[in-house]
Amino acid sequence: MSREKGYTKQNFLKGLFIENPLFISVLGTCPALATTKSIEAAIGMGILFTIVLICSNTLISLLRKLIPEEIRTPSYIVVIATFVTIVKMLTNAFLPELYSTLGVFISLIVVNCIVLGRAEAFASKNNVFDSFIDGIGMGVGYTMALCIMAFFREFLGTGGFAFGNIFTFIPYFKLQIIPKGYEISLFTTPVGAFIVFGLILAVMAFYKNRKAEYQAFLQRKERQRKAEEAKAKAAALAAHKPVEEAK
Amino acid sequence: MNILITFILGIISSMLIDNVVLSRFYGICPFLGVSKKVKSALGMGIAVVFVIVLATLICWPLYNFILVPAKIQFLDTVAYILVIASLVQLVGLFIKKYSPSLYKTLGIYLPLITTNCAVLGVAQGNTDQALDFLSSLANGIGTSVGFLVIIVVFSCIRVRLESANTPKAFKGLPIALITAAIMAMAFMGLQGLFSGINV
Amino acid sequence: MSQTGYLILGISILVALLIIFVVSFVLYRRTPVPKGCENIKISEENCAGCTHSECSFYKKKEESEE
Repeated sequence: MSREKGYTKQNFLKGLFIENPLFISVLGTCPALATTKSIEAAIGMGILFTIVLICSNTLISLLRKLIPEEIRTPSYIVVIATFVTIVKMLTNAFLPELYSTLGVFISLIVVNCIVLGRAEAFASKNNVFDSFIDGIGMGVGYTMALCIMAFFREFLGTGGFAFGNIFTFIPYFKLQIIPKGYEISLFTTPVGAFIVFGLILAVMAFYKNRKAEYQAFLQRKERQRKAEEAKAKAAALAAHKPVEEAK
Repeated sequence: MNILITFILGIISSMLIDNVVLSRFYGICPFLGVSKKVKSALGMGIAVVFVIVLATLICWPLYNFILVPAKIQFLDTVAYILVIASLVQLVGLFIKKYSPSLYKTLGIYLPLITTNCAVLGVAQGNTDQALDFLSSLANGIGTSVGFLVIIVVFSCIRVRLESANTPKAFKGLPIALITAAIMAMAFMGLQGLFSGINV
Repeated sequence: MSQTGYLILGISILVALLIIFVVSFVLYRRTPVPKGCENIKISEENCAGCTHSECSFYKKKEESEE
């Protein structure tokens, strides 16, 4: 097997940063806006999503030689829907609070573009281990992105962080940072979701622009240096010639 | 008469008060992706209305007359996604074969509807809230027409935004999302519109 | 109808749905694109969010739309 060293690590990390499904590819936005009222809900959604993504990636990669080319998409949809149903039933049985908080959005993992997209773009072409790692990377990247959004929304909207509401197996505690009465409850409403997501995307675009500008600056400098070199060479040549002629 | 009023109120409330995109967050992907031009937004919206209404008409009887007596309610998500996907393919097939002019306007959006959260969200929401048939239909019509209205309005704003002098970092999606936030704020004002009406 | 009968009916309907989906999917893919619609996607992708009002194609498009 001829593969680069550290490919697995790269494969894992690309889901977190370079190809982050939410902030870079802007996929799976529906749950990202709907389930990020609190960090707990975001973590719960992220975990369920990651489980579905890992399972579907692995199974599809296992079956990739059995599924005929023509009916790929239908079979992927059925596989994903099956895993979502399993995850939904398990959540209902063991974490009923999470089930009632996320509601219909657990079922909506079926139509999440990321799961289907990863199945078509990655799992159908790569071996089982790589697909598994890709699933973990993308799932963790998505969970991280959800948590970043939920962090801002919960912090600004309620003035602190509450734990134990949804994951009832940990004791309830609330961390109040902004004093009561000074929080901006707008951020827990849909309006806040759109604003936070828009601002995060703007920050990403800002850094991307700056990087691109820096690259362009470096290139320009390099070109200038080359031009100057060529000029100096030409000047040296021109200066040299008369001397030769004078001889 | 009472039924009719409930039906109409149901349509209006799921269309405006509980708007599908701005307060329930279904279908954000096409809302952001296919709203750069008014024409394409209109095409997408009409296709979504068509598919959602048909899917509601099929999914409700499927759940209540077949899955419930057979005691396999847990298969609802699988059944719904199968109904929606085959509906989309059948409608697409029909359009592709018999109506090139309709295909020109709707053709490229139809396959995208399978992965539109709004369709599955409506079917699943009707089941989870245990709505009766008429309320389900009202929810389906209201949601889909609400989606059509909001995506067309949003695309009209976005066409103007393209030529507006926004900061470089906000160009494209970020400013669109901020615009959506302001629209959501406007729609929040409609909450409690029917609070005084008893049906 | 008995419980088993309903169960068989339900499962057979689900299987039928699956078959309808697969068949319609394959048929949709095999149906040729109608005439005049071959390159909708290209212009849609290239020019939908185009902001260059100096572009000649953009101007032509605007005129044809009005």
